[in-house]
Amino acid sequence: MSSVLINIGQSGALAARNALELTAQNIANASNPDYARRTLSQSEVVSTATVALFTSTAFSGVRVDGVRRTDSVLLQNQARTTASDLARANGEIAGLRAAEEAIEQTGLFESVVEFEAALARLQGDPLDPSLRAAALESARVVADTFQLADGSLETVQTQVQTAAQNGADLVNQHSQDLARINAEIIRALPNSSGQAALFDQRDAALADLSSHYGISVQLESNGVANVRLGDASGPELVTGTSAETLNLTTAADGTISFDLGGTAVSPSSGSLAGLASALVAQSDLQTELDALALSTIGIVNTAQANGTAPDGSAGQPLFSGTGAGDISIALTSGAGIATAPAGSPAQSRDVSNLSALRDALQNGGPADQADALLFGLSSRISGQEITQSALQTIATSAQTALQSETGVDLDTEAANLVRFQQAFQASSRIMQVANDIFDSILAIR
Amino acid sequence: MNISVNSTSGFYLQSFNEMSELRAQLERLQTQVATGERLERSSQDPVAASRLRDIARSQRLEEINSENADRLELDLNIASDEITGITDLLIRARELTIGAGNDTLGQDSLDAIATELEQLGEELFTRANGVSLAGESLFSGDAGGAAYIRDNAGVVSYAGSAEAAFLDVAEGVAIQRGITGPEFLSFDVDGTGVTSDAFALISGLAAVLQGGAADPSAAARDAISGFDSALDSANRGQTILGARLAWLDSVQQNQLERSTSRAEEEAEIGGADLTETITELQQTLTVLEASQTSFARVSSLSLFNVI
Repeated sequence: MSSVLINIGQSGALAARNALELTAQNIANASNPDYARRTLSQSEVVSTATVALFTSTAFSGVRVDGVRRTDSVLLQNQARTTASDLARANGEIAGLRAAEEAIEQTGLFESVVEFEAALARLQGDPLDPSLRAAALESARVVADTFQLADGSLETVQTQVQTAAQNGADLVNQHSQDLARINAEIIRALPNSSGQAALFDQRDAALADLSSHYGISVQLESNGVANVRLGDASGPELVTGTSAETLNLTTAADGTISFDLGGTAVSPSSGSLAGLASALVAQSDLQTELDALALSTIGIVNTAQANGTAPDGSAGQPLFSGTGAGDISIALTSGAGIATAPAGSPAQSRDVSNLSALRDALQNGGPADQADALLFGLSSRISGQEITQSALQTIATSAQTALQSETGVDLDTEAANLVRFQQAFQASSRIMQVANDIFDSILAIR
Repeated sequence: MNISVNSTSGFYLQSFNEMSELRAQLERLQTQVATGERLERSSQDPVAASRLRDIARSQRLEEINSENADRLELDLNIASDEITGITDLLIRARELTIGAGNDTLGQDSLDAIATELEQLGEELFTRANGVSLAGESLFSGDAGGAAYIRDNAGVVSYAGSAEAAFLDVAEGVAIQRGITGPEFLSFDVDGTGVTSDAFALISGLAAVLQGGAADPSAAARDAISGFDSALDSANRGQTILGARLAWLDSVQQNQLERSTSRAEEEAEIGGADLTETITELQQTLTVLEASQTSFARVSSLSLFNVI
């Protein structure tokens, strides 16, 4: 009889000790973002024996069933989806902002205004060589600024492409990790601490994956994660222990496209989606910038062709080039600026051709176009920023909800520490009592 | 199973997010105070940024217009001075002509008068070819060279263009940059429709007085009406210049007012209101301090401290 009591006490002490160790583990991982709180599941051990009509029940203490990991599939899913959407917005805004900087901070608008100002000043004294030189120099600044903006935009494009390539590499790395983790999950003992740790790794890999590319996850009963790109009908990225490879292709215009083992895919969320759409916007900008440069070249050269230079010769083109990348100055000296209308005598101070040029530049000319370009870009960023801030709030609260649900509460753990310590002491006491009982029987004489 | 768990990392995550948001807001306000500008980049307020660009552009172009107006004012003043000189000169020539009309004068006196008239003709030629401070002909219209040229026979003729060009002096306002020589030196002879000019008048009279006519005195008397017409024409030129100068004055005044209102608009759209910004800054600071303090208090509340 007393040996049963000792066994019960021993099993209780063992369970309390295990629970204490688990509490210590929880406390140690309190600040680990990937860690989900563990609890110990226990069950009563009762042995029942039936002999003839006589039923006897013997208590046999407690048994540790296994380690249970707190999980919430719904919250995990929400945290992943919202983080994916936020990553998309962040990626797109980063790309667009860089483009805004490239165009706004090179001072394209300001340089065009300066050119107009120099022409206005030339109107005051059209034959003054220094004013002519100043006008030509400000035209050179316009050309240089176009080239600079074009170059900066290209640099930004390259940076975004590199970021996208990096993101695609990370997607492949995480999906391979996930395939490996899946293999280990299959082998893991159910309800073991090892399995719980693998689930932690699995969820971390899924979170990393979804920040780059929107995914949908389907969990098998044994915990193996199957991942599809996009929604539940998308192509399979990770199936059990095998992972497909995501490839990135860069087109001539700088935009990017993806394929999964040869099947074309296009991300709708995740940072790669944001970067891809930023690259499309940048490519459009490049086209607009080229059109702007071309229209500037056209306006100025048309005016030149309609006019006469001070030496009486017909006006020659001021700009050369076909776009923002190769616009440059064709005139060698300010004396070539055709201020007078065609047919004017040499040394004419008639500025009607210059006035015509100024009118052409003024109404819907490069300044207005540059303004419209900047306005379109900045409006888009501004709109995206509103979306981003909303997504930020949603993603943060989803993340907080997940952490609150699955994270470690130190106060609870402290209380558990006391509780399990007391349980251990109580179980020890049981063993003491069993000993005392045995002793008191032995003491009968 | 415990339903309401206060996850420690959840608490830290939330506190961190709240405080970093406040911190970002604080930095933005601080930049606004430091720069006095509400907008750092266009995307913060695309409409205002576009408006600011527009204002900056018209401000810059108005600056140049204003420079052009100053320059034009100077040129018109110089032209006006030259015409005043020409008027004085024509009055003197008219006096001499009246003197020459006296029958009692001998040939010596007439010769002296003729010599002075020739000198006056020289002065008239110089003044009619007067140049601006930039060294350009005042009265040649759009042409680059001298306004009047003299051929080998001594005949003076106009070499400039028919009209002077217009110069933008303000948004939408263009003023003719000067008047051409014929506008104030040529005149209609006695309403006959024949156009003559002061040069021909003076040199013709000088030639007559030096024996080019049988009765020089009568010829001189006949020339007086010509001088009257020449003076009328010069006065008319002076009036035109005066009217343009007055116009220019009002344009410049207008420009000043517009530039002030533009600066006001610019400050209104793009400037940070210091009082408002600093108040907001202080408010955010207070909130941040409060949340930092409460975070420190709450996070120090741990059961581990008491067991």
